[in-house]
Amino acid sequence: MNRVDVREAITQVHHEEWARVIASLTKRFGDLDIAEEAAAEAFAVAVERWPADGVPPNPGAWLTTTANRKAIDRIRRENRRDDKQKEAQMVYGDDPDDPPEPLGAIDDERLRLIFTCCHPALAIQTRVALTLRMVGGLTVAEIARAFLVAETAMGQRITRAKAKIKAAGIPYRVPSAEDLPARLSGVLAVLFLVFNEGYLATGPDTDPVRPDPDRRGDPAHSPDPSPHAGRR
Amino acid sequence: MRYLVSVITDTAHLATPDEQAAITVFDDRLKAEGYWVFAGGLAAPSTATVIDNRDGEAMFTDGPFLESKEYLVGFWIIEAPDLDVVLKLAAEGSKACNRKVEVRPFL
Repeated sequence: MNRVDVREAITQVHHEEWARVIASLTKRFGDLDIAEEAAAEAFAVAVERWPADGVPPNPGAWLTTTANRKAIDRIRRENRRDDKQKEAQMVYGDDPDDPPEPLGAIDDERLRLIFTCCHPALAIQTRVALTLRMVGGLTVAEIARAFLVAETAMGQRITRAKAKIKAAGIPYRVPSAEDLPARLSGVLAVLFLVFNEGYLATGPDTDPVRPDPDRRGDPAHSPDPSPHAGRR
Repeated sequence: MRYLVSVITDTAHLATPDEQAAITVFDDRLKAEGYWVFAGGLAAPSTATVIDNRDGEAMFTDGPFLESKEYLVGFWIIEAPDLDVVLKLAAEGSKACNRKVEVRPFL
């Protein structure tokens, strides 16, 4: 495989696996910030190694494993997350037979991530930005351009959002059936804005943020559990 | 996790008997369902005294540290597993006391 092919393969894997890697790490470590950084590091390692070693047979699993190691490295390095709960999560996550928690009607791990990023306790712009970063895998620079703000300002907004999610105890889960209709309309509003961002360029240059808008709303295409949800 | 639910008001009058009754019902529910830690109402900001003893020489100043149209009139401290639970409770609390509330996590 030549370099161009590998680069295309990495781009493709980034599209398909970014949100899954983030979702898997967030579930395991309970921290969006660690998940995001470790996922980015894992992709950086892929860019470095795949041209020489070839694309692994299961790129998603390779990336998740690499990102998990990076996250554990960071936690050890920081040496301040020594509370038993974090240890327990790490041990729990090491079990390969660990059965995934049921997600209810819609079976996609990324949904948890979307519902967390689109939590009503976050400002609407923040929800859109966080969803573009965590679910869409856009860079902070790309998101800043879409919002017509400076990259540092967008970086701060996303950092603040991750800090609030952690400090305020915004849960990482799909809401209960009872709460789902109200929460779903909030998620759909964000996905609609994300979808628009995909083909309407709001930045100073005329290119859309990313060329394939359909993919962004992908995980939400599953059957709607409530007949009236999202129609209000 | 533990959360502070602050009650914010912009009117001088205290809770009406109806509001007080609704607050009591809400308090009882918090206690019955294990969310209750503490709650209280506060006297007007004009009754506050600010103390600054950072230099080791205590200064007492009459009045609140912050003059504003809206002020803290009471609070609940709630123990709950996550923000979703608190937001629901806070929504009921806001209805009960007929005022805005703010939720903030303890460290």
